[in-house]
Order: sequence, then C-alpha cells, then structure tokens
Amino acid sequence: MLGIIRFLTEPFAPAYMQRSLVISLLLAALSGVVGVVVQLRRLSFMTDALTHSVFPGIAIAFVAGESLFVGALIAGAVAATLLTFAARSTRIDQDAFMALVLASLFSIGVIVVSRHRSYSADLTTLLFGRVLAVDTADIITTAAVAVVALGVLVAIRKELLLRAFDETGAEAMGYSLLRIDLAVNLVVALVVVAAVRAVGTALVVALLITPAATARLLCSRLQSLMISAVAISALAAWLGLVISYDASVHHGIRLAAGATIVVVLTALFAVVAIAQALRTGMARRRTLAAVAT
Amino acid sequence: MTNALHVHDLCVTYDREVVLRDVHALLQPGDSVALIGPNGAGKSTFIKAILGLVPASSGFVEVLGTTPAKARPLVAYVPQIDHLDARFPISVQQVALMGRYRRIGWLRRPGRVDRAATLDALEQVGLADRANDSFGVLSGGQRQRVLIARAIAQDAKLLLLDEPFNGVDSVTQDVLIEVLGRLRAAGTAVVMATHDISVAHLACGHACLLNRHQVAFGRLDDALTADTLKATYGHHAVMLAEGTALLSTH
Amino acid sequence: MRHLLDLYDSGLLRRALLEAVLVGALCGAVGAHVVLRRLPFFTITVAHATFPGIVFASIIGLSELVGGLAFAALLVVVIYITTGDQNLDNNTAVGVALAGSFGLGVMLQSTQDGFSKDLTAILVGSVLTVDHRDVVITSVVGLVVLGALAGAHKELVFRAFDPEGAAAQGYPRLLDLALLLAVAATVVATIPAVGTILAVALLSVPAMTARLVTRRVSTAMLAGAAYGAASGVLGLTASAEWDFAAGASIVLASAMLFVATYGVVGASRWTTRRRAIQAVAAA
Repeated sequence: MLGIIRFLTEPFAPAYMQRSLVISLLLAALSGVVGVVVQLRRLSFMTDALTHSVFPGIAIAFVAGESLFVGALIAGAVAATLLTFAARSTRIDQDAFMALVLASLFSIGVIVVSRHRSYSADLTTLLFGRVLAVDTADIITTAAVAVVALGVLVAIRKELLLRAFDETGAEAMGYSLLRIDLAVNLVVALVVVAAVRAVGTALVVALLITPAATARLLCSRLQSLMISAVAISALAAWLGLVISYDASVHHGIRLAAGATIVVVLTALFAVVAIAQALRTGMARRRTLAAVAT
Repeated sequence: MTNALHVHDLCVTYDREVVLRDVHALLQPGDSVALIGPNGAGKSTFIKAILGLVPASSGFVEVLGTTPAKARPLVAYVPQIDHLDARFPISVQQVALMGRYRRIGWLRRPGRVDRAATLDALEQVGLADRANDSFGVLSGGQRQRVLIARAIAQDAKLLLLDEPFNGVDSVTQDVLIEVLGRLRAAGTAVVMATHDISVAHLACGHACLLNRHQVAFGRLDDALTADTLKATYGHHAVMLAEGTALLSTH
Repeated sequence: MRHLLDLYDSGLLRRALLEAVLVGALCGAVGAHVVLRRLPFFTITVAHATFPGIVFASIIGLSELVGGLAFAALLVVVIYITTGDQNLDNNTAVGVALAGSFGLGVMLQSTQDGFSKDLTAILVGSVLTVDHRDVVITSVVGLVVLGALAGAHKELVFRAFDPEGAAAQGYPRLLDLALLLAVAATVVATIPAVGTILAVALLSVPAMTARLVTRRVSTAMLAGAAYGAASGVLGLTASAEWDFAAGASIVLASAMLFVATYGVVGASRWTTRRRAIQAVAAA
C-alpha cells in the first residue's frame, strides 16, 4: 500500500514535475467541462479542425519570435469564425468544407515553419507540446484562459442547452444560432490555446473528446457528466505523468509525458467501453435465458 | 386588433425549384388552421416561412403585425418529436423551462416565477409528477406533451405545430385537443400541420390545403370538400381521404 | 513557360511530379465516395491511425507502409464492428480513435532517439524525396482501389443513396467495410506525398470541387481526379518555384481550385436563379 502511494507521489518531488501536474490538472478541469459541451453539440470534427487551424498562428508567432500564446489566440479567433461559417454552409458539403478550411490553414502553418531553419524539431514541438518544460507564467496564462472560457460557458449555459437539444426550436424562438455556435467554437479554440504549451495542438483534441466520451458511458445527467469527465481527465493526467516519470527514471525508457497522458485516457475509455459491452452482453443473455424457460 | 397571421401570395424557392406558391392566409387571435396535404406538399416549408427561417421569394408573411423574424419571441414552435435526440441528457423540467428562455434573457438564470410557470405548464399536460425524470425515458406521446408544455410556458400569441398527432397515444391526443382549445380561448392562434383530417375537425376552425401550391383556404367546412381533397391528394387517394372526411362530419 | 519546363529538368522533380499527379488523381476519384458518404472525419482518423503504425514498424524494422496499413485496417475493422449502423460522421468511437492514435504514435516515437526528421515527413509528407518504389506502390494501390470502386459502382451508389433499401435487397454491410478499407489504402498510398495530417484534404477538396460541376457520382470521380491531378501539378510547381513545403503547397492549390470553381459556378447559378424567380413572377 505504502509502495503504491510512493509510486504515485514520488515523481512530484522535483519542481518541474509539480508544475507539470498543476498545468495538467488545470487543463483537465477545463477540457473536461468543455468536452461535455463538445460531445452534446457533436463537435468532435469541429474540435479536430480547430486544433489544426490554430497551428498557423503559432507557427507565424514562432518564426517572428512573438509570443506563441498571442499567435494562438489570434489564429484561434480567426479559425473559430471561419469554421463556424463553414459548418453552417448549406450550399456545400459541410464536413468537406471544414476539411478544406482546416487543411488550408494547417498548410499555411507548415509552409511558414518550412521556411525556418530547424524545421523538423520546431514542427514537432509546436504539434506535441512540452508539458515538462512549462513555467509559472504558462500556468498563470492557462488559468486565466480557463477562467474566461468557463465563464463564457456558465453565462450562456441555458442558450447552449437549448441549441444543443433542439436546433430548430432555438431558431424559432429567435435565437441567432450563429452567435451561440460562434461563442462555443471560440471557447473550444480557447482550450486549444490554453493547451498549446503543455500538450501541443495535435494532442489537445484527446483532452476534449475522450474524457467526455468515457463519462458518457458511465452516466447520463449533465452535471454528473461534467464532474466525471473532469475526474477522468485528472486521473489520466496524474497517472500519465507518473508512468512517464517512472519509465524514464527507473526503467530507462523515455516516454513523452503529454502523449502518455493521452494514451492513458484512451486506455481508460477502452476499458470502460469493453466492460460496458460485456455487461450488456451478459444482461441480454440472461433475458434470453429467462424468455426461453 | 392586429391579425395573428397574414400571408399574401407567398412563394418559396429552394435553389432553382419552386416548392410552394400562391399561399394566402388570414388568422385572427384565437383562430386555428390545419395545414393539410400529402408528404412533400410544403407544410413544413410554410411553417418555416411563418418562422422566417426560409425567405419568401415573392409575396409577404406578416406575423402579429410585424415581420416573422421580429415576432419570433411571441411565436412558439413544436417540432416533430422524432427530430429530437432521445438520448440527450436533459430533464423534463429543463425542456419545459426552455419556453421561458427568451423572457429570462441572455446571461440570467431562471427565477422562481419561471419555475412556477413551467410546473404549471407541465401540470396542464398531466406531467408535473415527471418533472425530474429524464426526457429520454418518456414515451413518444409524453415527450410530445412536454414540448406542448414548453410552448405553454412560452405564453406565445401564435403556436405552430408540425404533425403533433403523429403516432401519439389516445391520452396524449385528448390532452392536446383540450390544451389547444384552452390556448385558443385565451387568444392564441394555432397553425398545425397534419395529415389526419378527423383531427383537423376536432382541433381547428380553418383549413389550408396545400400541394406545392395552395388549393384552398377558409373555414373548415368550406375549404375541406371532396373537390379540394381530390385536387390536393390526386385521384388515387381521394376515396380514402373522402372516407375520413365523411366519417368525421357524421 | 520555358522557365516552368526548366524547373522539371531534374529527374528528382519529374518523379515528384509523377507522384503528385498520381496521388492527386487517385484521391480525387476516391474522394467522390468520401464526400458522398460524409467520410472526411473518418478519413482524418484513419490517417492519424497510420501514424503509430508507421512509427512502430520503423522501430521494429518493418516496412513503414505495411505498418501504416496494418494499423489503419485494424482501426477500420474495430470501428466497423463497434459502430453497427450508426453513421461515422461525428461518431464518438471515431473521435476517440483519432485522438488516441496521435498520442500512441508520439509516445512510441519518444522512446527512440533522433526520430524527429522522419516524423516530419510522416506528418506533412515529403514528395520531393519519394523513390521509385513509392511511385510503383501508389500506382498499384490506385489500380486496385479504383478497380474495386468501379466494379461495385452501382451497388455503392445505391447503398449511399438508400441504405435501408440496399439492405432490404440483401446487399451485405460488408460493402461498407470494403469502401472504408479502400479509403484506408488510399490514405496510406498518399502519405509519402502529403503526410498524415494533410491526406484528408486531397481526399475531400478535389471531390468537393467536382461536386460543384457535376451531380453524378461517376462523372464526379472523373472530375475529382482531374482536379486532384491539377492540384498536384500546380502545388508542386509553386513549391519548386518558391521553396515551399511541397505537401502543403499541393493542398493549398486544391483549395484555390475550389474557391475559383465556386466563384464561377456560384455566379452562373445566381443568374439562373434570378431568371427562375422572374419567370414565376411573370406567370
């Protein structure tokens, strides 16, 4: 028992590990809540598109030597606006149109980075982040972004609920869907921005999709969905950091911390999904047996 | 007193195709019209035009003396029940409460008055005891009643319903007809798409027959005749349709 | 013009051009089905899923192509079994798989030192360094996939238009699996040229452009192939001229072709529509 506790706490003795844990838990709280909204509004694809579309902003800021955060913020706003209109287009296939927007914006980012000297290393850092290298300023920025994003969600929660539940009804009551959608997509973009330093643009999509998907397998009330998504995400962050630390310190295997968190999240989802499938399978067999007798 | 609904020579086109034309209608507060026609006749399009969700390519729609877009907060819309996701994590009371949202306004939380009005609306459709249940566990008919409760809570001057009697149980049908009668007595006008002529007789004073254009509009007995039904449904369906019409007038 | 021809003087660029045209044409044609069945999101997921496969294969010394294809096929089968009849558009399992794949790939990659150069090629492609083998593989995959799609064309269109009708006539759901696997094979063949992140663009943008000019699936496949090939030529030329990342240039070229076509078609449609309304008003 003591061994387990040591295994779970020992990695957080160094200050950089503490900072990693703090920023991971912050991101877990933020993305768990926003992730539930993403799921209710069926925005997985939009979320993935946003993560790729924020990339050019970071790339330009990086090459120009400006703050990545500011670059991501501007690109996030532009991408969220473009994609909101793309997703509401009625004349062309929406998802193909979104693919066009995301790939074009991402390509611009790649071209910008490709003109820079250390192309490969830069590209991967921007895409996958460095959770172990975050500093206190990053934590403060992430916390500030989290407060703004969650504040917006709380402020428009009832309109959000209505729009997710009954699109035509919301429109019939005179709500501008465009405005609500834009607000939500901006919030998702903010999460991407908040996570850029720690997990990068390519991995944040996991924080936004997987915890909520796992929670959905476990419960069905809005509040419990949000609470369990945050809890699952926090658990995965903790475990991921511990595993990555333990593997590299005690076993000599380097495991990227951010990626390990994502793999733990996915594994949690798989375990819950399989357990659920087995349970329904057994229940069905029992019913069939009862009918037969 | 302003008209509840005034439609003049409405024409709606999608892309290059004219989907609805020659529509005229006039409703006073408390009036009720049944939109009757086969699938694809333009009933839903007409409702969307009244909501201002599809533009009129010619003619005009005037709702409560103003444009459809401006009138929306005073218009309640009840969608077809199967257009909603039954697995959505939401309670019965939360759905009904949505009717109050425009009144509550952006950024504000529902107050005691809103909750009371919502519970009262649920009471009227006989579902007050189910307020805290999940929307998804209710039967189709009960869900339809929750949506009606939402419309009641909205306290609208014009109520639009898309096939409200589709596949509902007889309890729900009775509740619906009773509630519609009460709302009309209080001055709410009702527009209801339906393919069930007997229901039209029970719930509506006017009829509007559509088949991509308007075949007839007027008081139910004037508008709903063997000839207009034949013009609406074509020769083949007339025998059936006439049968129902005769049955319900007996 | 002379200048452009000079650009393609080197054998290296000529091979890159051939690969870009092949990949563009193949993706444009297969893309007709991707757009028809609303599979862009699924395509992104499959492309992401090849990533851990490629990393894993190169760690244990297998062919990257085989590794990528194996992981993509595995994912397709798992998704196919778990989703049943639900649509793959915005599907939760697809989203989780997409998100998890990159994590797994990056985690595997981090255990190896000095992997990051290859990583870039996998993520955003490197058409200038394709070798003879890549071109042959693209051609073979293209022939097999297009042959299969042509062979089952009317069944696939029927299934897309009316899934229940097709099931009622006894067409097996395996037809879907075959289509998804064809998309996966195309993605894998595309990766050397444009990489895992951008593959979805070539598999949806040219086909979407084709849908603007034709409504039939068969002609959309042809037009898509033409648009895709044109994107390859334009993108690669721009990349050689201005020293841009080639894969990204090809994708941007396809986007510009879309915007141009949309402008032309939109303008002509607007005129027809006005005329129709005037005709109604006059009648």
